[in-house]
Amino acid sequence: MRVIVIGAGLAGLTAASRLVAAGATVTVLEARDRVGGRTHGIEVAPGSTVDAGAAYLGERHTELLKLMADLDLATVPTGMRGDSRFELGHGADTRAGRFPPLNAVALGDLFEKLAEVTAAVRPDAPWASPRAAELDAMTVAEWVEREVPHADARLFFPLFLGEMMAADATDVSVLHMGFYLRSGGGIRYLNAFEGGAQESRVDGGAHQICERLAAPLDVRLGEPVVAVRAGGDGVTVHGTGGNGGAYRADAVVVAVPPVLADRIELPAGPARSTAVTAPGCAVKVHLIFGSPVWREHGMSGWSVNAHGPLLSTVDDSPPGGAGVLTGFVTGAEAHRYGALDPAEQRASAVAQAQRLFPFLPDPVAFHVTDWVGETYSKGCYAALFGPGDWTRLGPALTTPRGRVHWAGTETSTEFFGLMEGAIRSGHRVAAEILSTY
Amino acid sequence: MNVDGVIDIYRRVLESEDITGDSDFFELGGDSLLATRVLSGIARVSGVELSFDDFLLAPTPDALAKLVSSDERHLNTADGAR
Repeated sequence: MRVIVIGAGLAGLTAASRLVAAGATVTVLEARDRVGGRTHGIEVAPGSTVDAGAAYLGERHTELLKLMADLDLATVPTGMRGDSRFELGHGADTRAGRFPPLNAVALGDLFEKLAEVTAAVRPDAPWASPRAAELDAMTVAEWVEREVPHADARLFFPLFLGEMMAADATDVSVLHMGFYLRSGGGIRYLNAFEGGAQESRVDGGAHQICERLAAPLDVRLGEPVVAVRAGGDGVTVHGTGGNGGAYRADAVVVAVPPVLADRIELPAGPARSTAVTAPGCAVKVHLIFGSPVWREHGMSGWSVNAHGPLLSTVDDSPPGGAGVLTGFVTGAEAHRYGALDPAEQRASAVAQAQRLFPFLPDPVAFHVTDWVGETYSKGCYAALFGPGDWTRLGPALTTPRGRVHWAGTETSTEFFGLMEGAIRSGHRVAAEILSTY
Repeated sequence: MNVDGVIDIYRRVLESEDITGDSDFFELGGDSLLATRVLSGIARVSGVELSFDDFLLAPTPDALAKLVSSDERHLNTADGAR
């Protein structure tokens, strides 16, 4: 059996690896000149690499942990010791722990309502949830208008949604928010560092998972695919890159985000995205220092801020090396920040970091990774399903279109949007193909 | 509001039946996010709005119920004086 996999991200490479192990002949076509997709390592100091893309994992990410063990990769715990900083509209506050200086009952009311929505979603088939029609028709912005009266909760909610889903409230349906939170293990698990989905990182960077998976595989870089045409007893995949090739196969795995899948000419079938499917809005900023200076001042590096560009910061320093303060610019703020020129991006991020942590020197290096503008990702963490999307797209989420099969974190109802979801989708599609051909 | 009322809220929020009056919320896996849900539940039932710092100092149903009833007395006195 011959299979072509389109996309050398975690999903595509996991699928390819499983298929090869089962005896198939597999070629992976990748548009970029690197593997990894939405995992990407950047070297910030000699021997120090940080995650420009997906970074975090927790205990429940069982397939990811198994894969890492197979590939001889270790985890490092995310350090969260020390005080947090908050800039929530009335100067900067320092607090022990991660709890923001806002009305706790108002935040509790918000989380109770979020828990209700999360519980109302059928995780394996959100479009078939009992209240799917109602929840899918409404944007989260409309839901907040109706359900979240308190000013403190309204201030906090966009920051929470940005952190959880890299979404702006106008971009997603209530059904998608409830599904995403449920799929990732619930609000508490998804939000938590210790004991949650941000418990650890991959030592040396998550991109290494993809690099190690790719090493023994036939991967063609710089080969964007424009068309997949069915004919006879197989398919032909047409690339445009250096190899300029037409590849014959028995089956194809499309392992790219839904909006990008729809740009490929494919055999006729239901679309993978709609006009309201939005890109995940995440820009990741890295400020590099000689060492994690904030720790000497009893700070964890964690901050939450009502105004951008950095809506939150976290200590992502590699063990024993440089100090890495990662800033997250999410939701609508990501579009504003993405439009600035590089000098303005640097100046505004550094100024904010030094306001939060006044002892910080100027960074020795500065990196911006704008996933929204990435041609071959079109957003990060994941595609955002807008109003009506789950109703229209959900039923065919994994249904093969003839010999064309689907993978990618957006095709996994478990851990949708996370590395774990990508890997599970790769396993699912490999099993599907092996049982079909 | 009595201890049983707070225990019921703990059970719902922590998704565990194994709660007694002296159960420590944080030892049972509770975190700040879940703590706010307990405070929201208490406010809904009793009308008393406790702060996050109150909760940190009184993380058991016994202690929270005591705080709520002293606050309720305070509220009643305030009402009476009006």
